[in-house]
Amino acid sequence: MKAPTPEVWLPPVISLVAITAFLEGWLALTAVPGYLMPRPSAVMGALIASGQELLRATLQTALTASAGLLASAVLGGLAAVLLCIHPWIRRAFYPYAVFFQTVPIVAIAPMLVIWFGFGPKAVMASAFIVSVFPIIANTLSGLLSADPALRDLFRIYRAGRLTTLLKLQIPGALPQFLTGLRIASGLAVIGAIVGEFVADTWENGGGIGTAVMIAIKEQRTDKVFAAVLMAALLGLLFFALVNVLSRTAMRRWRLGELSE
Amino acid sequence: MRRLPALLTIVLLALLSACSSEPDGGSNPRLTLQLNWVPEPEFGGYYAAREMGAFRDAGLDVEIRPGGPGVPVMQLVASGQATFGITSGDSLLVARERGIDVVAVFALYQSFPQGIMAHAERGLNTIADVFQGGTLAIEAGTPWHRLLEKRFGFSKIRAVPYSNNLGPFLHDPNFAQQCFITAEPIAARHAGAHPRVFPISDIGYNPYSGVIVTRREFLDQHPDKIAALIRAVRQGWQAYLADPAATNQFMHGLNPTMDLATFSDAAEIQKPLILGGNTPPQPIGGMEFARWRTLAEQLRDLGLISRVEPEKAFVNP
Repeated sequence: MKAPTPEVWLPPVISLVAITAFLEGWLALTAVPGYLMPRPSAVMGALIASGQELLRATLQTALTASAGLLASAVLGGLAAVLLCIHPWIRRAFYPYAVFFQTVPIVAIAPMLVIWFGFGPKAVMASAFIVSVFPIIANTLSGLLSADPALRDLFRIYRAGRLTTLLKLQIPGALPQFLTGLRIASGLAVIGAIVGEFVADTWENGGGIGTAVMIAIKEQRTDKVFAAVLMAALLGLLFFALVNVLSRTAMRRWRLGELSE
Repeated sequence: MRRLPALLTIVLLALLSACSSEPDGGSNPRLTLQLNWVPEPEFGGYYAAREMGAFRDAGLDVEIRPGGPGVPVMQLVASGQATFGITSGDSLLVARERGIDVVAVFALYQSFPQGIMAHAERGLNTIADVFQGGTLAIEAGTPWHRLLEKRFGFSKIRAVPYSNNLGPFLHDPNFAQQCFITAEPIAARHAGAHPRVFPISDIGYNPYSGVIVTRREFLDQHPDKIAALIRAVRQGWQAYLADPAATNQFMHGLNPTMDLATFSDAAEIQKPLILGGNTPPQPIGGMEFARWRTLAEQLRDLGLISRVEPEKAFVNP
């Protein structure tokens, strides 16, 4: 893999530096107290002071969020295949899949505790619930939008349903599946953090959600922002990993998708 | 990139509006009292004062703003978006440590209403027994959470997050949870459970609670208004303690998820927390220097605050 050119990494670095410097200067100039809006330097200070603790929390959230995301990828992909088999199945079940998209996870989270008990299982379930729908919806749309000309070709050669599914529809849906996975990757982090609010056992010290709750209780606004920053970085890391995965997968399947 | 200035302007405006203090419209600006929870008997006296016209008679225009889970009372008061807020004594001292210059002017609960409830069937006798096994739902990051951990250790129990949901408690006989003495045990009893309640004050941690706080700046500028407000609040509480029925009915309208029976039970149970504790007796909501000092020392010993300055934390208007 060749190293990214300055054209790639320079714009985000410039915007980061500019926005951070602006916020720092503006908050200093207007003397907005730190308990209302902490300065970037204070957040960095909290990040460094509690670095180890936050890193461990991030690692824990990464584990549950990735487990939830993996479950979403597998079960969401399977669900989309089942739904594409027949319009009747689609009509019968697809409307209810929308439930996963609209479910207010904050309201459902306490029930997850009753169903799965306190601990990582409930947190993973929360990550799964909020991240599965984009995978179902995108994959399904990919499965259904196979090129009509290729469909005809398969029909002419008397390919069976299974062959058409395996050789035409599923490979053709790969780009959409990966788009779904990209959307789901950030949602899984959110789902895990909300799950931690109600179900984290702190046996291993707790995840980002617990760190946020404690920092709020201790009125440490700087630390709240530091924890949120770690969550954002985790989401970014997931996104990057899915991108790497999708490049690899697409290269195997065809020349590759458009770069972004 | 051309849109960037517009975006920054929006952020600027949002921050500006968040920081500006409340407008002093006219000679009698509206005062707001920000509650830290939904309307419940712990706020009965304030609603009673408003309903009986005590605020109006004192020449005050007071708006009572209900709260809920996660409402940032201290930040709302500090930024001037609320004139008064309700919080606990320990939160006040921690806020002062963070540089928020807020002052307590009234303390409703003379005894700390926080407790731990466990199923009576477990036969636990003291709060120490709670830490011998089972699960305990508790809010992380509170001073008394730290104190309990220091005193008893959490190694034999499973500590899980506390949420405002009785389900796990009702579901699991070995489940204990933190509770507001006047709230969850009543609801658990109504649901058929037999909770045994251990007050946190049993371990010698007894901060004032249901505390009204305001900015030092407002206190310095309007001592007369604060004195008038506290007088009206006392009248409200006296009326509510004597007969809570009408106010409960009114609050039930604002918070229909709590039934009237629970309202009247809670109003009864909180009476000793409001009236008791002080020798010699003092007016409702009055505070003692020694108790603020004890609390500050406890928080200092836990490493939560660095200076013990009880004299700066409260006034009895």
